[in-house]
Amino acid sequence: MPLPRWNLCFPLICLPDFSTLIGLFSSLSLLRLHDGNLKYCLVILNQPLDKYFHHLWSKALLRACADGGANRLYDITEGKRESFLPEFISGDFDSIRPEVREYYTIKGCEIISTPDQDHTDFTKCLDVLQKKIEEKDLQVDVIVTLGGLAGRFDQIMASVSTLFQVTRITPLPIIIMQEESLIYLLQPGKHKLHVDTGMEGDWCGLIPVGQPCSQVTTTGLKWNLTNHMLSFGTLVSTSNTYDGSGIVTVETDHPLLWTMAIKN
Amino acid sequence: SCERRPRALPEASQPSAERSIALAPAACAPLPGGSTRRCRRVIRYGACLYPAGTSASHWEFEVLPCDSESAFGQIFSPSLEQSFLPEFISGDFDSIRPEVREYYTIKGCEIISTPDQDHTDFTKCLDVLQKKIEEKDLQVDVIVTLGGLAGRFDQIMASVSTLFQVTRITPLPIIIMQEESLIYLLQPGKHKLHVDTGMEGDWCGLIPVGQPCSQVTTTGLKWNLTNHMLSFGTLVSTSNTYDGSGIVTVETDHPLLWTMAIKN
Repeated sequence: MPLPRWNLCFPLICLPDFSTLIGLFSSLSLLRLHDGNLKYCLVILNQPLDKYFHHLWSKALLRACADGGANRLYDITEGKRESFLPEFISGDFDSIRPEVREYYTIKGCEIISTPDQDHTDFTKCLDVLQKKIEEKDLQVDVIVTLGGLAGRFDQIMASVSTLFQVTRITPLPIIIMQEESLIYLLQPGKHKLHVDTGMEGDWCGLIPVGQPCSQVTTTGLKWNLTNHMLSFGTLVSTSNTYDGSGIVTVETDHPLLWTMAIKN
Repeated sequence: SCERRPRALPEASQPSAERSIALAPAACAPLPGGSTRRCRRVIRYGACLYPAGTSASHWEFEVLPCDSESAFGQIFSPSLEQSFLPEFISGDFDSIRPEVREYYTIKGCEIISTPDQDHTDFTKCLDVLQKKIEEKDLQVDVIVTLGGLAGRFDQIMASVSTLFQVTRITPLPIIIMQEESLIYLLQPGKHKLHVDTGMEGDWCGLIPVGQPCSQVTTTGLKWNLTNHMLSFGTLVSTSNTYDGSGIVTVETDHPLLWTMAIKN
């Protein structure tokens, strides 16, 4: 049975009263070795790479590193670096090691300087990526980002901040994964998340990071919400889990960060 | 989950119009007038207890509470046996190892079960801690928390969420530290942060977690703000740094998370 495609109508998704269904399970089936139906691009940030990196690299349409992410790629692929060449490396290059930059330059990877200090390397990398997707006229379902959820606290917050800004850069959904954590920003509206791929860990949560979400309704969680307010100071859903139905729906009136465990 | 029953706070605990606090390891730096701050520690998640090379005499503490996530058992050394017994261990005890629990019980540490699943172990530990501070009539300046800023993403968010809820539990400032990061929630009003102790790292940031802060004004940063809006989606201050004056002031109209590097 063919996997459902993502239903992407992003300009409409931004309207608070537009309902949309997105099959997020597609992102988790990335972790299955033999799944090949999902079309995605890979962005590597400056954090240690996890074991599932190898599976994700092999099936990505485009692969990019943001600055120090190239160091991580270089180090983890020692002995087989030629099989792991990114399409481009972008950033202000204050983190990439000289020998790493030289290696990928010699190997023909595009090195794109994005010096603008008003935006993070991650945000600027997504901007370059979107342009390349358009230039190459690629059909892409999702952008998968590795890293960004550990290390310096301000950088973790910058990763989350990028998810808010990215709607101005690309219509594609962005997920961020590191170690056992995944985050995805749910825009206002209705969302359907398939959580029965077998790669889900046992916890999940809904984090009203940027502003209170006064009307949140869920199904499929152990602790559901019905028109409930989520906000820092009143209620933030953490250490939640699933009710076993395999599907989670979330309806929200403001952007709401979904987070879940993935099996590493 | 339910909203926590508000606790009436004494008048002095209301956020002061201008609060002067020396953060980070500067918690042990002399206050104006020469007295040394006394720190009460809450240890969680097995974080590194002391920066490498710091002698125990740098840290004066009356008591040393610790919750169930402690890694005390891991750093236990016979010669320090008497120096590292917590006043109490609290939690729902789904993480503490049996031999660890047994050890501290034998040693006379109070074991306090807090099974309420509507609040995290951290939040409940602060509640117990505040009661003990009141019972013992201790003069305490700040509660230092180790851990909570790495690992599961939902747990990092839960740590931040606790900072919002803690004003209902205790009037004391709470700072959270792990590895090179420190976070502290600035309540609405004006704040003065002493950043000249020599223990500051080179980055800092202001994160409008929970809601936009429409009027933020700062001094002492490399990139200051003047009546600026901070919010996820417009502007979040990360990778900021200091202007060398040794003092940062922040004025905000809504709770605003301060984060900074500490030298590890």
